[in-house]
Amino acid sequence: MTSKTVMCPKCKHQITIEGNPGEKVILTCPNCNLKGVFTFPGEKPTGSFSIQVNGLTKIFKDTKAVNNISFNVKSGEIFGFLGPNGAGKTTTLKAMLGLIHMDSGNIKINGFDITKNSKEVKCGIGYLPEKIAFYDNLTPVQTLNFFCELKGVDKSVVKPLLKEVGLEDAINKKVGNFSKGMLQLLGIAQTMIGNPSVYILDEPTSGLDARWVKIVRDKIKKLNGQGATIMFSSHILSEVQSLCDRVAIIDKGKIVAEDTVPNLNKSLKIKPRLEIYTSNLNGKIPDVISKMGGIDAVDVKENILYVTCDYSVRVKVISALEQAGFQIKDIKTVDPSLEEAFMKLLFKEGA
Amino acid sequence: MGSINSKSVYCVGKKEFLDNIRNKWVIVLTTILFLLVILFSYLAGAHGRLGNTQSTVIGLIGISSILIPLIAIILGFSTISGEAESGSFSVVLSYPVTRLEVLLGKFLGLGSVIIVSILIGFGIGGIIITALAGGGSWLGYLIFIVLTILLGLIYLSLSICISAFFKRRITSIGGGLIMFFWGMIMSSVFAGILIGTGHSIKDLATGNIPSWYWLENFLSPTDLNQLAVMRGFGISNIRMGEISVTLPDFLNTGVVLLVHLVWLIIPLFLAYYFFKKRDI
Repeated sequence: MTSKTVMCPKCKHQITIEGNPGEKVILTCPNCNLKGVFTFPGEKPTGSFSIQVNGLTKIFKDTKAVNNISFNVKSGEIFGFLGPNGAGKTTTLKAMLGLIHMDSGNIKINGFDITKNSKEVKCGIGYLPEKIAFYDNLTPVQTLNFFCELKGVDKSVVKPLLKEVGLEDAINKKVGNFSKGMLQLLGIAQTMIGNPSVYILDEPTSGLDARWVKIVRDKIKKLNGQGATIMFSSHILSEVQSLCDRVAIIDKGKIVAEDTVPNLNKSLKIKPRLEIYTSNLNGKIPDVISKMGGIDAVDVKENILYVTCDYSVRVKVISALEQAGFQIKDIKTVDPSLEEAFMKLLFKEGA
Repeated sequence: MGSINSKSVYCVGKKEFLDNIRNKWVIVLTTILFLLVILFSYLAGAHGRLGNTQSTVIGLIGISSILIPLIAIILGFSTISGEAESGSFSVVLSYPVTRLEVLLGKFLGLGSVIIVSILIGFGIGGIIITALAGGGSWLGYLIFIVLTILLGLIYLSLSICISAFFKRRITSIGGGLIMFFWGMIMSSVFAGILIGTGHSIKDLATGNIPSWYWLENFLSPTDLNQLAVMRGFGISNIRMGEISVTLPDFLNTGVVLLVHLVWLIIPLFLAYYFFKKRDI
């Protein structure tokens, strides 16, 4: 923490403030009430957090939708937020934007507190809600013009944004006539207004066909490549696994895990799966395998044998099969998926 | 309440105006307002000629106190509950705009739709009858238009308040209907109380009524507005056949306008309170 004395540009009154390098501080001149933002010189330390959620609790009537959760998202990271329906994902994301009032806790985005400096927080965010809706009588251009005005961004970005999400042919159509996928694309376009540094996306590929799912995923990667921090929730675990640097899994309002996917699997002792392609299994698990120790799970589908075991047991499995007369055509090792970690965690938690 | 960014208010207001000025019900009701002006002027006139503005207003006043609240309720009843339910508020409120700015923007934008609707419906009609029939009080007609706008804004303020209070669009419709009939039935309720306290219907017709009865006008924005229009035309005594009622002195123009403002502002404050507390 360093001290800095700044001079009010209006009345020249001197104010002393404290902060960290790269930190933005909102100050009001005690003499003339002029408001301003001061950014402490120097860069934010590497690994600083764009999103800090601390002790967030939200109670709806008698139900704790979110129960004292805390997590941080590093700047420039893609952070996946997973959980079954009703786990508290959307509630958390909405609390981060001040859309719902939290019962306790605090949330900082880009260093600004959502309850104290909501406008400053929102200037640096692009948000895509799970349930997207706009104004039926407006065209997509009028819709994005409206959001540009709200953010104080020049409207010249509107047409390029619509082109970027593939809605250039629909610019004269009323939004009320849009399909769900088109609304989702318009929603994605509006998140990009003003090039925010933080994107909060609630189920971003929901309602899109395969072509647009790929475009959205590529877009997320591109935005992240440009330095944006992205937090998104999804029920498509493979999507989260392919995009995210880290994930948090929430269940019944509590974070049950938060780490990278490989670390999660390691901590949950989820083993890789061996896929052995042979010619003569005929849908039966060989006795040599079913009786072998060190194997967590075994399954068969026609002539493919699926064996979940430690790396050290793999050689033993293959040798045993060869000695038993099975002709091995191919072997694949499938690393544990996020889905397995997800299921194991939720099962452990009694979901 | 915090500081208000007028640009954000203007921006929300402009969007509301653009989104609602093409509302088919608003277009239909505006057309009806215009046709009613011509119709009542024709009925008030003699030998197929149009009547003057004052006689037209006497005919219009009753029907406008039904249609104008209707337009305002149609515009306002789902402006908060509907947007919260559909999901559009989740997007809007993720932008750097406060709930107060959104509320004021909505009130001003939808209020502008009402003003345009009244100016087109009654304004154009008024110009036609003034040009063709002449006579009457054009100033009185102007006051009638201004007071009708005020009535529309009061009902808009009330319907926004109801929309902020109810969680769902469907329950807001119910709230809007109750509010609409509240204004309509208040005079009947007070007449019932009057008879229940030993007075007769004849007392109503002869003006032999207690002063508390006149408070009914404070509880019904539509009756209050009709009173204001009469004051606007300088009418202090209503005569219809044998009926003759003199308006009491305490219901002067200043008091009547003050109560209009109370009806306008209090619901807006309440709307802000409910909206601020609401989870989107």
